[in-house]
Amino acid sequence: MKKVTVRVCSGTTCFVMGASNLQMLHEYVPEELRDWVDIQGAHCLELCRDRNYGAAPYITIDDEIVAEADLSLILERIEQRVRG
Amino acid sequence: MPESVFVDIDMYQITKRGQNICGDAFITRKIAEEQRAIAVLSDGLGSGVKASILANMTASMAMKFVAGNMEFLHSAEIMMEALPICQVRKISYATFTIVDCRASGEAHIIEMGNPGCLCMRGSRPLELESRLMESPRWEKRTMRFSRLHTRPGDRIIFFSDGITQAGMGTDAFKLGWRREGCRDFIAGALASSPHMSSRKLAREIVGEALRKEPATVAGDDMSCGVFYFRHPRALVLLTGPPFDRGSDRRFVDMLRDARGRKVVCGGTTAGIVARELGVLIETPLPRARTDIPPVSRVAGVDLATEGILTLTRAAQYLEQGRPADHSNAAADLVELFLESDIIHFVVGTRINEAHQDPTLPVDLEIRRNIVKRIAALLEHRYLKEVRIQYI
Repeated sequence: MKKVTVRVCSGTTCFVMGASNLQMLHEYVPEELRDWVDIQGAHCLELCRDRNYGAAPYITIDDEIVAEADLSLILERIEQRVRG
Repeated sequence: MPESVFVDIDMYQITKRGQNICGDAFITRKIAEEQRAIAVLSDGLGSGVKASILANMTASMAMKFVAGNMEFLHSAEIMMEALPICQVRKISYATFTIVDCRASGEAHIIEMGNPGCLCMRGSRPLELESRLMESPRWEKRTMRFSRLHTRPGDRIIFFSDGITQAGMGTDAFKLGWRREGCRDFIAGALASSPHMSSRKLAREIVGEALRKEPATVAGDDMSCGVFYFRHPRALVLLTGPPFDRGSDRRFVDMLRDARGRKVVCGGTTAGIVARELGVLIETPLPRARTDIPPVSRVAGVDLATEGILTLTRAAQYLEQGRPADHSNAAADLVELFLESDIIHFVVGTRINEAHQDPTLPVDLEIRRNIVKRIAALLEHRYLKEVRIQYI
């Protein structure tokens, strides 16, 4: 198991594209993984302007950018990264 | 009002229980070209809709006459003749208090029927030079004309009789709170908070009056207006990245070198500010879900928020009032606006193309338009001095 840091963008585009539903992300992380995940807010990851990363909303897990991040996709990636 | 003095004008009122419209009217106007600020408080006879109509008619007429520099005794007679006669009491009646301040610091106060206003120098009550005049055509209509040469730190506080008569008939306040009780309360409040804003002081006075009422239920309309002659409180707000990236430094210098409160609204904007100031942005996750993005912390900045959604919500709050139970970034922003006198918007005009994506589920307002809307509200409804600069 490896500890990961998740950052959730709360910039304008991400917020309206679905990051507003990710504010309580920590509540959805399975009990057994909670100690391994540090969830932080981010004022703005400044990814939407470039269009090179897919579509908003964005989150990062350590150095990985996850585009079109919805709850199930994020939880899947977290699990993969934590369990290595 | 010499250059460095700003008049902070605000009021607070609550409506008599059981009525859904306030029978006291409060109108303010700033006449920029004459560097003059005028407010009128009128208390209409009775309560509810009828009182509201009488009070609003009186206040609007009084404002027009005073702003137009008409001879006031004659103006008052015209007003009394124009008011409809109450079917029950066979009199036409609405009281008024008019406060008229000019750039020289000279304040004129005209009162009829309302409790006498209070003038405070710091926390000390001032005696006013007054003369009384009666209308030969209307009995018992004595008007009091007063003058005051104001200094920074002075306040003029005026209220409807719902304030001075609060608690009347109770054991503790047989004759009501009275003007003296109100004066002592204000002196105490200003001794402990010498820089209290007009908005806060008006609320404190009305709140204290309400506590005197049996079961803290307003038995009459209660209104309080405050003029506070003060050194202005400045706020600078940066929003939007500069059109030309080469201007980022100059943009952030405008924030760093400003005095007073500092606000940054926008994701990219905060990124530029943090980079140029060499500090980090911290965004704590909210404890409960909010419908606009949370506030962030940036060293050297009093408030950092998201841009368009927060500004749009702030404009709504300024237009429609803030729901008391809402605590969010827009409510914090509005609070800072209302606690400032001179507000300087520095608006970066570079467009974020992602905001123009037609698949976004909401319309995002153009930044310039939303700033203009907020600026107009602050200037005209909240009597702030506003400047917008584009970069």
